[in-house]
Amino acid sequence: MKPLADYESVQTWFRGLTEQSGVDPLADPSRLELLAEFCSLVELDPDQLVTACLLQKEGAETKISIKGRRRMADKIAEFQASDVSAGSRDRARRGNTIRSFLIHNGILLQSGIQA
Amino acid sequence: MEYKELIGSRRSIRFFQSWRPVEREKVQIMLEAARIASCAVNASFLRAIVVFRDDLDRATLDALKTPVSGLNIELAPVHIYCFADMGAYKGAQARLKQLVDVGALNATHGWSHKFVDEFVWPNILKPLADNAGSAQVAAAAACDAGVAICQAMLAGVDEGLGVCLSAFVYEPIRKVLDPPKEWMPLFVLLAGYPAESPEAGGQRPRPPLEQLYFEGKYGNPFKADPKVTEQLRAKKMFQAPAPLPWRKEEIKALARMFGLPE
Repeated sequence: MKPLADYESVQTWFRGLTEQSGVDPLADPSRLELLAEFCSLVELDPDQLVTACLLQKEGAETKISIKGRRRMADKIAEFQASDVSAGSRDRARRGNTIRSFLIHNGILLQSGIQA
Repeated sequence: MEYKELIGSRRSIRFFQSWRPVEREKVQIMLEAARIASCAVNASFLRAIVVFRDDLDRATLDALKTPVSGLNIELAPVHIYCFADMGAYKGAQARLKQLVDVGALNATHGWSHKFVDEFVWPNILKPLADNAGSAQVAAAAACDAGVAICQAMLAGVDEGLGVCLSAFVYEPIRKVLDPPKEWMPLFVLLAGYPAESPEAGGQRPRPPLEQLYFEGKYGNPFKADPKVTEQLRAKKMFQAPAPLPWRKEEIKALARMFGLPE
């Protein structure tokens, strides 16, 4: 896998964090570390994570796949819960980092209150 | 709150103090405001089912969520599911005559019991009542229900609440709330105490007056008088536009507080 920062979806995420959320994505290197950990868990690269949530048919508009998004949401919940040594806030941060990545790539995800 | 300021202060609130219940009397005030709204032929189209979120079990609450409004549903302590009663034209004959009796519809404007019984009801309202599923009835019903919902929203804001109209997916709602078949689903009006500042980042962008409204005929914009615009600013109907400089920081703080993604 090439460096995560070279993936288009990661660049989109960082742009979104900067421009929409007012967050400096480089200030916290753990963002990319968590994304790398999640990619490893699901055996997909960042661009594939996004694609896995989409329904793309030739000649038709791209849609968000309900099943794909649900599967991804379940995987994120699993990823979030997997660090049993972490407190609830840190666990929420694990899941929300991946949700943030997908959200800024156009995949609407709502997980509810995680605090 | 002064009326123009109330209109200017309303925002679609998306962060509620999820832990703070809304007093039942405030919900009643919202419903009463809706009940007395203007409505065609005295047929109150709006129907609503109030759901206090904390009365629901977890599985039921989860069933009500949609991908877009799931978080709002979870955060808002009060959900007012709004419907238009497509059968509301039934009984309009008697209700119209009631308006004649109380002096709302008068001979000055051509109204009488006989006019209602022999013309309005058989020629206009009965055909509508008999075709409750028609687009014409749906448009009238949605319009009237919208007016009533708006009054409920503003009453809620006047009571210090945050409000937000949101779409909902009908099927899970039908299973949980069991509304009559002739009720057309509209929106859910969410209410609760705002967790974001009441300004919610500032007044939302809207198209200019001239782009939306016309004078005399289509294409001739209704021109805004700058003096009136200034008056409305002084009365706080026009407020500081979004985004206020601190909005992103506010959202970041809210995200941290609720454990939401940035």
